[in-house]
Amino acid sequence: MCAKQMDETVSEFFRRTILKIPLTEMMTILKTWNFLSENQLQTVNFRQRKESLVQDLVLLCEENRASLNDAALLDIIYTQFHRHQKVWDVFQMSKGPGEDTDLFDMEQFKSSFKKILKRALKNVTVSFRDAEENAVWIRIAWGTQYRKPNQYKPAYVVYYSQTPYAFTSSSQLKSNLPLLGQALTIASKHHQIVKMDLRSRYLDSLKAIVFKQYNQIFETHNSTTPLQERSLGLDINMDSRIIHENKTEKERVQRVTQEIFGDYPQPRLEFAQYKLETKFKSDLNGGILAEREEPLRCLVKFSSPHLLEALKSLAPAGIADAPLSPLLTCIPNKGMNYFKIRDK
Amino acid sequence: MELANTLSQDGESRGGVLAHLERLETQVSRSRKKMEEPQSAQAEESALGTRIHELRRLRDKLRAEVKQHQASVKASTTNVEPDQTLEITEQESLKRKWENVKAILQAYRFTGISGKLTSRGVCVCISTAFEGNLLDSYFVDLVMRKPLQIHHHSIPVFIPLEEISAKYLQTNIQHFLFTLCEYLNAYSGRKYQADRLQSDFEAFLAGPLQRNSLCNLLSFTYKAEPEGQSFPFCARLLYKDLTTTLPTDVTVTYQGSIFF
Repeated sequence: MCAKQMDETVSEFFRRTILKIPLTEMMTILKTWNFLSENQLQTVNFRQRKESLVQDLVLLCEENRASLNDAALLDIIYTQFHRHQKVWDVFQMSKGPGEDTDLFDMEQFKSSFKKILKRALKNVTVSFRDAEENAVWIRIAWGTQYRKPNQYKPAYVVYYSQTPYAFTSSSQLKSNLPLLGQALTIASKHHQIVKMDLRSRYLDSLKAIVFKQYNQIFETHNSTTPLQERSLGLDINMDSRIIHENKTEKERVQRVTQEIFGDYPQPRLEFAQYKLETKFKSDLNGGILAEREEPLRCLVKFSSPHLLEALKSLAPAGIADAPLSPLLTCIPNKGMNYFKIRDK
Repeated sequence: MELANTLSQDGESRGGVLAHLERLETQVSRSRKKMEEPQSAQAEESALGTRIHELRRLRDKLRAEVKQHQASVKASTTNVEPDQTLEITEQESLKRKWENVKAILQAYRFTGISGKLTSRGVCVCISTAFEGNLLDSYFVDLVMRKPLQIHHHSIPVFIPLEEISAKYLQTNIQHFLFTLCEYLNAYSGRKYQADRLQSDFEAFLAGPLQRNSLCNLLSFTYKAEPEGQSFPFCARLLYKDLTTTLPTDVTVTYQGSIFF
């Protein structure tokens, strides 16, 4: 058996992948990867300059005859730790009517998925990593008929078995999206796939929205702390000489807000976008805009570090009337943060 | 001596005699008074004495009354105490009854399906179990409206809730809940068995247990004996019926050659 020298490209791929990892996370990620042994890791000086550290680690990988797949796995783990760095789309699959029970076999799924991609594109790297809750993270590096896969612009797919939803990192190579959709659909034994109007950096929030897991507060006889009467946010320490003139209104706003948004933490989204294509409506007669036949087009975008929490606080802060427009409050329920509004 | 004085002045004997008589009169009245004084004093004394007696009698009477009252109060308190303790026991018994009812409501979850009324409808709790082991509970919060709606729930996404709701929620809520109960109990039972296989029979397994979300396909390699040379078998369990905890198909294969 001759020792195989690691391919230059693979070596470079290792170097760039390890270089991405922040020093504070280096040990954790390497341990999760579980490719280099404890003993090997102990021989490395983690306090040296990053470039030298990376060099040492790449040498160790070469010693262990690490393959492209091992590097891809490391890349998946890095992405799992830094999932917020990517923007995720959501796809929904559907089965035909009267389907048999879904006997999902993970190994079958993986081999089927890989086969479909490899049949279509000769040059493609497909790697898998199992995750909790019977999910799988898939990394795809796209190539063409004549070019080797580009390892530095991979697409990621997160699929929870026996669910109709798949989460994909927005790939720059949009041309490969139909093929990806096809592979997913066939391998998971579905018939159709549709892109949802839902996008966010926060993968876990997207999952909470489509799996309807964001509200997990239930009333039971067994709860030791009964649902407390909501404190109205009016200072208890308030001077007794101060009376809230619009106390009833404040209470109404609190009640309505609580009914719509609940007591649970809202899933995290960064924006909501509304594309309007409507004709101009005016109470005043005449006017150039009112005569215009074509609908007006405009885009309204709400951005926030935490959009739904911000919307929840609008009415209590006095900035908006309660109840808020259903266009804003329907976001988690409908699983949408992209809207197209047209005249009916 | 006054007599001597009056007799010495004869010239004025008339004056003297009348005066003398006057003096005698006053003497008599004085001595009479003196004689009377002890009498009045006595009378006074006796009056006071009777007064004292009267007061004493009154005092004794009042004392007696006080004593009687005290005694009666004591008697009445000893009569009142049982009444008060009766009130306390009533309170206690009510509290005990209330706690009993609360405990029964809490214990209802052991029946498998329980619920609590909410402001908008009812929150149903489906508590799953398998072979006497209490497993996870799942919730469905229903809004009592026409049409009946599910407000939110904790049913896992791979359980066909939409299918079951479409079939039964509006027409037969009992059937809806029982069907959901069936699916959830079966899922819980399969999951429990898969978890037990993974943990309790680790020594027998030659590799990881392959499973899926519904735990309706299990694939693993195992040895008949944990140690020693025994041949590994590949087992594949299929549960086509999602309402059962037993597999519908089992395939056991053996790969390799047997040396005799």
